[in-house]
Amino acid sequence: MSEHPDAYTLLKSIIHHSASSLPIETKLDQMVQSISSAFQSDRCFLLRPDQINQNGFLSRLASEKKPFWMDEGSSFQGDGVLLEEKDLLSPTFACIPLWDETTFQGILYISFSNKKKLSPQDVDLLLLIAEEMRASIRNACLHQKAEQTISELTALHEMGKAVTSTLQLSDLLELILMTGLKTLKAKGGVLRVEERRTGELKVKSSHGDYHQNPLDEKIARRVFFTRTPISLNHSGKERPFLSILCAPLLSKGGVLGTLTFYNKEADPSKFDERDFQLLLTMANQMSCAIENALTHYEISNIAQELEKRVQQLSTLWELSKALLTTVNFERIIHLTLTAITIGDGLGFNRAMLFLVNEKGKTLEGILAVGPDSAEEAGRIWTTLSQRKGTPSDLIAQLQLSPEGNSILSSMIKGIQIPLEQEHCILSRTVLEGRPFNIQLPPAGEEWLQIHCERGCNLGSEVGCGAGEHLSHHPRVYSFATVPLWGKGKVIGVILVDNLYNQNPITEDDIHVLSMFSNQAGLAIENAILYRNLEEVHQELKEAQTQLCHHEKMAALGELSTTIAHAIKNPLVSIGGFARRLDRAIQNESQEKRYTQTIVKEVARLEKIFNDTLNYIRDESLVFKEYDLRDILKKSLSMISEGFDDGGIHLVKEFADGLPKVIGDDQQLKQVFFNLITNARQAMNGKGTLTIRIYPISRNGSPFIKMEVEDTGKGIDPENLHNIFNPFFSTENASLGLGLSIVHKIVTTHRGQIEVDNHPGKGATFIVTLPAKKE
Amino acid sequence: MKRILIVDDEENIRFLYKEELEDEGFVVELAQNGEEALEKLPLFKPDIITLDIKMPGIGGIETLKRIREMERGLPIILCSAYGEYKQDFTTWASDAYVVKTADLTELKYTIRKFLGLL
Repeated sequence: MSEHPDAYTLLKSIIHHSASSLPIETKLDQMVQSISSAFQSDRCFLLRPDQINQNGFLSRLASEKKPFWMDEGSSFQGDGVLLEEKDLLSPTFACIPLWDETTFQGILYISFSNKKKLSPQDVDLLLLIAEEMRASIRNACLHQKAEQTISELTALHEMGKAVTSTLQLSDLLELILMTGLKTLKAKGGVLRVEERRTGELKVKSSHGDYHQNPLDEKIARRVFFTRTPISLNHSGKERPFLSILCAPLLSKGGVLGTLTFYNKEADPSKFDERDFQLLLTMANQMSCAIENALTHYEISNIAQELEKRVQQLSTLWELSKALLTTVNFERIIHLTLTAITIGDGLGFNRAMLFLVNEKGKTLEGILAVGPDSAEEAGRIWTTLSQRKGTPSDLIAQLQLSPEGNSILSSMIKGIQIPLEQEHCILSRTVLEGRPFNIQLPPAGEEWLQIHCERGCNLGSEVGCGAGEHLSHHPRVYSFATVPLWGKGKVIGVILVDNLYNQNPITEDDIHVLSMFSNQAGLAIENAILYRNLEEVHQELKEAQTQLCHHEKMAALGELSTTIAHAIKNPLVSIGGFARRLDRAIQNESQEKRYTQTIVKEVARLEKIFNDTLNYIRDESLVFKEYDLRDILKKSLSMISEGFDDGGIHLVKEFADGLPKVIGDDQQLKQVFFNLITNARQAMNGKGTLTIRIYPISRNGSPFIKMEVEDTGKGIDPENLHNIFNPFFSTENASLGLGLSIVHKIVTTHRGQIEVDNHPGKGATFIVTLPAKKE
Repeated sequence: MKRILIVDDEENIRFLYKEELEDEGFVVELAQNGEEALEKLPLFKPDIITLDIKMPGIGGIETLKRIREMERGLPIILCSAYGEYKQDFTTWASDAYVVKTADLTELKYTIRKFLGLL
């Protein structure tokens, strides 16, 4: 048993190896070892397909699928043997190609250094062993394939489990990438998803730093747009080798994104066709899950948005409800600004209201609500957060007074901005009728005046609070303005900022603020109209009272006229005959006193009647142009006696170039007469009486003012409201018609009368009369 | 001797005026209403007339008109307790308007003025 091996022992050994659970390569090595030792060959090995040169002798053998024998008696000249294959040409050798149906598995080679004859048993034995090796290889292949399939299936199963475990988009994408990495045993990966709004392909999840390579994005974009997967082995001169697999994530009719993997964690790090197929399978399966998650993500976004909108609408509703609780102007504007500043409302830090003054074409600061300092802000917020109730309840409970007196509010109240200013944001808000949302980095003191170059002092006013604050918190200050719409026109502006908490003002904030201010605008306009209506109503009421008063007076007048006339005739007789009697009686006699008393008392009675009748009657007046100084001189000449005794010093201050007044000279004389008489009575015969006459101009029309100033006792404040009433007098001897006649005459002349009263020091009556235009 | 016709419905007033004016040296005739005045006018031939406005009968204003028709140049002084008509009558109808008072200075002054006795 030296020449030929023991077939039984060899086959036993081969079957033993074949059945072992060792790896296929080890199995084959052991089998080759067994063959070699059994046949005592020089060389024996299994050539795998990748070790065989394609154009050589061996490859020809492989393609012929027939074993080749070279032994004693064979004639082989080495035709078609490549140089590298020459080494195989031993004196005796055999090559047995191993074929598994369609797959070439390799060539079993055995050689002997001496020439010998291979017996038919040897040939049979070798073929048998080759058959066994082929089967082993096939089994191993099948096993390997089965194992791989199982691991892939496991991976896919894992992935399926994973993708159904969450609808959180970011979690899901992370899971997909990690499972992919595990399944493909890749070193790195990148998952990109298209942003639906922008159409941008964005990295959502990555492992390793491959996504930083510009090549990665290039490949992903190409795959995304062509919807075709790519398998690429990239090697550059200076760059390390890259094996890349990239697949599009396809959904119903669209591309969601791309999934890319880099370099296998093996040597070589190249992905094979199987990996590629696996990736495609994965990509297909994942797309659906990603699409679902994306849809879920979008829907939940929409739901959140809707929830926010509902919240905003309910806040707006609450605030509008609060606005409906009153028509009082002060309360409405206070409510509006409070609603804008409280946390449950719109939540701005400060709010300021400006209203358009249509006559003056200006924008006027009306009210501001907001803390004066950061400390106060904190205190208010703490208090408010402890209160319970809906915003409308909270607002309804608010007191009016404290806010109106804040430093901020009093600053705002002084602001007046001409409406034609193009640079002032507030003015532009009115003129352009749109909101402004402005972010400014703090640039010194003049940070807002950039927009108010023509002297609008808003910048400095709002800025002095903001400037101080910003010096402690050097961050960006932003503010926003919205127009306040009435019916078809802008009636004002609301300015808001977040000075204390520095929250940015978003477009959404502006949107809600605009919605609210639209309602507030109407409410404020209504309140203004209501206020005007109330004023008119009040005026009407006053006019009605006055009318009643007039009617009463007229009735009284008619009665007095009748009585007065009935009494006047007898008075003439009594007085007339008394005078006759008086003249007839001797001066020294007792009767002379009687008659003189009758004469005097009748004269007094006649004066009373004349005064009364003068007040009551509607004289037909004759209006002519007069120089007021002439009329005054005539009046003074009538009463000169009182000034003669030197008790009263008369001062006349007349301006030059006086325009003429238009009036009835008799009546105007009466005005002077009564005012001077009044003043003399007040001074009780001692003091200084100053009369001034000077021109003034009101709204472009000329007027004349005359003042009658005395140094008497002044008017008791208690009586001040009564002095122009008829029959009111503090003098027992007076009928009390003097000042009321003056008042009546001045009013008839479309003038005004005022009193500058200093109790204890004197009073000045100031009459303003319209003058003739030059 | 100038002749004055006093027309007034108040007897006391007529009496007072008569006494006062006769003291001044005038010849005085009295009439208690417009009708009587018109009757006495051609007989008495006064140089001046004082005429009350408010009287029973045709009244002062109508009397004034008729006297004007009869004696165009005769001075007539309206003499009334009502001060408020002064403006109207002095401008067109009468020569003067005197508001009645117990003090007759103004009336006497006015009469003298029209009779050229000042």
